[in-house]
Amino acid sequence: MKEFEYLRPETVEEAIALRSKHEGCSVLLNGGTDIVIQLRDHLITPEYVIDIKRIPGLKKLTFSEEEGLFIGACVTMNELGDSEEVQKYYPFLAEAALTVGSKQVRNRATVIGNIVNASPLCDTGTPLYVCEAKMCIAGKDGEREVPIEEFITFVRKTSLKSDEIVIGIRVPYSEGAKGIFTKVSRRKEVDLSTICSTVLMIKDSYRMAFGAVAPTPIRLPKTEELLYAKTLTSKLIEEAAKLARTEVSPISDIRASKEYRLDVVEVAVRRSLEWFLQGGAAE
Amino acid sequence: MKNKVNFFINEEPVELYVDANRTMLNIIRDDLCLIGTKEGCGAGECGACTIIADGKPLNACLVLAPELDGMHITTVEGLAKDGELSELQKQFIKHSALQCGFCTPGFLMSGTALLQENPNPSREEIKTAIVGNLCRCTGYVRIIEAIEETAEVLRGGGQ
Repeated sequence: MKEFEYLRPETVEEAIALRSKHEGCSVLLNGGTDIVIQLRDHLITPEYVIDIKRIPGLKKLTFSEEEGLFIGACVTMNELGDSEEVQKYYPFLAEAALTVGSKQVRNRATVIGNIVNASPLCDTGTPLYVCEAKMCIAGKDGEREVPIEEFITFVRKTSLKSDEIVIGIRVPYSEGAKGIFTKVSRRKEVDLSTICSTVLMIKDSYRMAFGAVAPTPIRLPKTEELLYAKTLTSKLIEEAAKLARTEVSPISDIRASKEYRLDVVEVAVRRSLEWFLQGGAAE
Repeated sequence: MKNKVNFFINEEPVELYVDANRTMLNIIRDDLCLIGTKEGCGAGECGACTIIADGKPLNACLVLAPELDGMHITTVEGLAKDGELSELQKQFIKHSALQCGFCTPGFLMSGTALLQENPNPSREEIKTAIVGNLCRCTGYVRIIEAIEETAEVLRGGGQ
């Protein structure tokens, strides 16, 4: 690792001031499970590393039916996945968080870090996309909220400005909504997704998001439109699965070929919808 | 610039001045000479560097040295008390749950953390607790059995 200075602000304001002061030559350190590796491999060479883990309040994890879920910036994957409320109201999100890395990694890795890192295959991305979560961002001029779909702009690129920090994610709650998360990977544990997806049924519509099939996680608007206000049948599911294939643009990489990914998208859509057809883990 | 850190390692207080661009693992092995904790992949995948920090298993290779400040760390050297091996260590020996031994400290720390949190783990819970630890010699069955029997002995001993 190259030399850098380690800074540990104690308030959000202080963190923002440090981001402004060292604009362009600092990185934020949260759980560190990506950043420390990038530092080690010289993929990033910041002059300042700003550790936000000790800022009080950023561990907040709250839920109410009116306000939905709020995930503070420093909430870890295990804290989210083990939360009884998240398991009850957003089981697909809890499941996604608990597929990340290992127990050791999940004790450090944060949900917000997973999103800010903006990998196309981020496991907590698709559940947050279908919930239409909002990123809560603090900067010099106050706070703003950005829909997650507008936050992640490209592979490892976000709309976060270099003098801002993400303080949390707001996840709306819809009564009766049901979701299913799917992760396909070469190995069940401690592996990156070859494909990940979440399908959410909310009133008379279905929302679908896929990861590792485009430069960012994406929704499948045409497939969602096809299913809108319709009753699921085997024929409709088949049609949806075929259509979904046309909405993604995966690449071939070390984990899988493009062709394999296209097939898996079809299978994931079919299986997810069949799960709903069969009553979707009826309560 | 050096960063002052105060922390506890195996219940001993430590005060050090550390460079930011080193890891917790470097400090444990090179500065504190506790070489039971191993470096395998250096990227949080193999678990050879697993330690327990504030009750939770972590990969020491993924923590920057200044982050040690205020932590309570247990390494494999802290498991034996007054010269007596911990029950899990004894069971690893009894079950021959190792061959070359390189991964063993990591498994012992993951197993210890699991049993502290959950004294009655199912086989699935044991597997989940050790998915972040790789063993390339012996396979995992004996390791799982050693953790299972430790849980039984500790539960029995507590009555």
